[in-house]
Amino acid sequence: MKKELITLKINGRTLELASEPNKLLLDVLRQDLGLTGSKRGCDDSSCGACTVQLDGVPVLSCTLLAASCQEREIATVEGIAEHGSLAAIQKAYGDWGGAQCGYCTPGFMMTVDHLLTENPNPSEDDIRHALSGNLCRCTGYMQMFQAIKAAIEAERKGRASEAQTAGAR
Amino acid sequence: MSLPDFQLLRPRTVAEATELLAKHAANAQIVAGGTDLIPSLRQRLFAPRFLIDLRAIVDLRGIRARDGGLDIGALTTLTTIERSPEIAQKYPVLHQAAKTVASPLLRNMGTIGGNICLDTRCLWYNQSLQWRQSCGFCIKKDGDLCHVAPGGSKCWAAFSGDTPPALLCLEAEIEIAGPQGTRRVPLSEFYTNVGDARMKLQNNELLTRVLLPVRTAGWSGVYRKLRIRGSIDYPLAGIAVVLKRSNRHVADARVAITAVNPAPLLVKGVARALAGREVNEEIALQVGELAARTAKPLTTSALTPEYRREMIRVFTKRAVLEAAAIDQSLPRAQPRGPSTVD
Repeated sequence: MKKELITLKINGRTLELASEPNKLLLDVLRQDLGLTGSKRGCDDSSCGACTVQLDGVPVLSCTLLAASCQEREIATVEGIAEHGSLAAIQKAYGDWGGAQCGYCTPGFMMTVDHLLTENPNPSEDDIRHALSGNLCRCTGYMQMFQAIKAAIEAERKGRASEAQTAGAR
Repeated sequence: MSLPDFQLLRPRTVAEATELLAKHAANAQIVAGGTDLIPSLRQRLFAPRFLIDLRAIVDLRGIRARDGGLDIGALTTLTTIERSPEIAQKYPVLHQAAKTVASPLLRNMGTIGGNICLDTRCLWYNQSLQWRQSCGFCIKKDGDLCHVAPGGSKCWAAFSGDTPPALLCLEAEIEIAGPQGTRRVPLSEFYTNVGDARMKLQNNELLTRVLLPVRTAGWSGVYRKLRIRGSIDYPLAGIAVVLKRSNRHVADARVAITAVNPAPLLVKGVARALAGREVNEEIALQVGELAARTAKPLTTSALTPEYRREMIRVFTKRAVLEAAAIDQSLPRAQPRGPSTVD
């Protein structure tokens, strides 16, 4: 099938590439761009392992055509580390055993990142509701739940100490 | 598994979209959120030469006030509907129904227009090409017999959208754009109750808006859904109830059911059964019976037809009691979180 030139904005970089019109965003990320963080799980829009953010909103890259995502901001798990170090939520997942086999983790990262960006202090219900679109076959949901709460707490303490430092000056 | 080959067209206005549809009608398929169509393309249920992607038509996104009611663009995502304070306040049954569709991720993608035009579903249809080839094709796709009702020539695939029963209860109208301009139809006249020709939408037409009337604004409502998991799944039975009350008595009422027929259906006789009366367990059960009699589930999904029909009865009873217990004089709880997307 004839390839067409498309422009994608991924993790803050604008890329031009030739791609078939029927190619899914997940395949472009993994095969053409080497961004293999996003995973193919169920391949029928159920599991959330392929979750990326489109204009900041988490969506399934296995159910999106790459060519449909032009002019939008795409963010993958490769883009959520902060200045080369792990984001707070990535660190908390490591500390609390939120990642077991690790296959679903990148998808969860994108979902949780959106949750905390939108609402830095979500209730337990909000967290459960937000996580209800991603599946973990290791069933490590409780560890993730704890990791998320720990990340929220760390963030809150961080903000408090920042405020203190600012106050001391 | 990859998708079949097609050419992707991306119109920016409704006029451009209807022009493309007029040109390619027979060989084109429309895609909005893609959550229904893309998995079906993967399973080779469709092999269009052209895919018309509506996502770039900004005009079809968003919720606006209109004539005391609401005008919802067909491309408005289900997340936006779930989070709209206007909808939660004026049309709580739609808020509840939208909130149960699939999962948060899929609601970020799926649109209200797509939910209305959702393809009907069946165990024998929503399968890979290899599966269907091995087990034998069916009337709905590539074959000439029905595995669900052997000997019959009608397709019984179940309509499985969550928001249409709520919209039917609210007496919603839809706007359709075509080569001759736009037309408005009551949603109740849109569906056919035939699984393989589910809706009255020509292949050169496009659903553009959903209109909610002022008449049903403020009616209390409840949506209940049966599914295997608490998230992600399509409904295997669903019921929407709306009630208008004056003092303690019911002034008007509607019940609609989904996922148990090839169309979402309004249950007949509900207003008569409830009007002028005070809701109690017995009356709620009578309404449940009416709903169960309207449901004609067959073996199109993972749960048995008997169980699904019984749950229609039980959920209807509970939903009627719950809707009657809502105090209409109090302001309703706002949905959580800031409204985003779109």
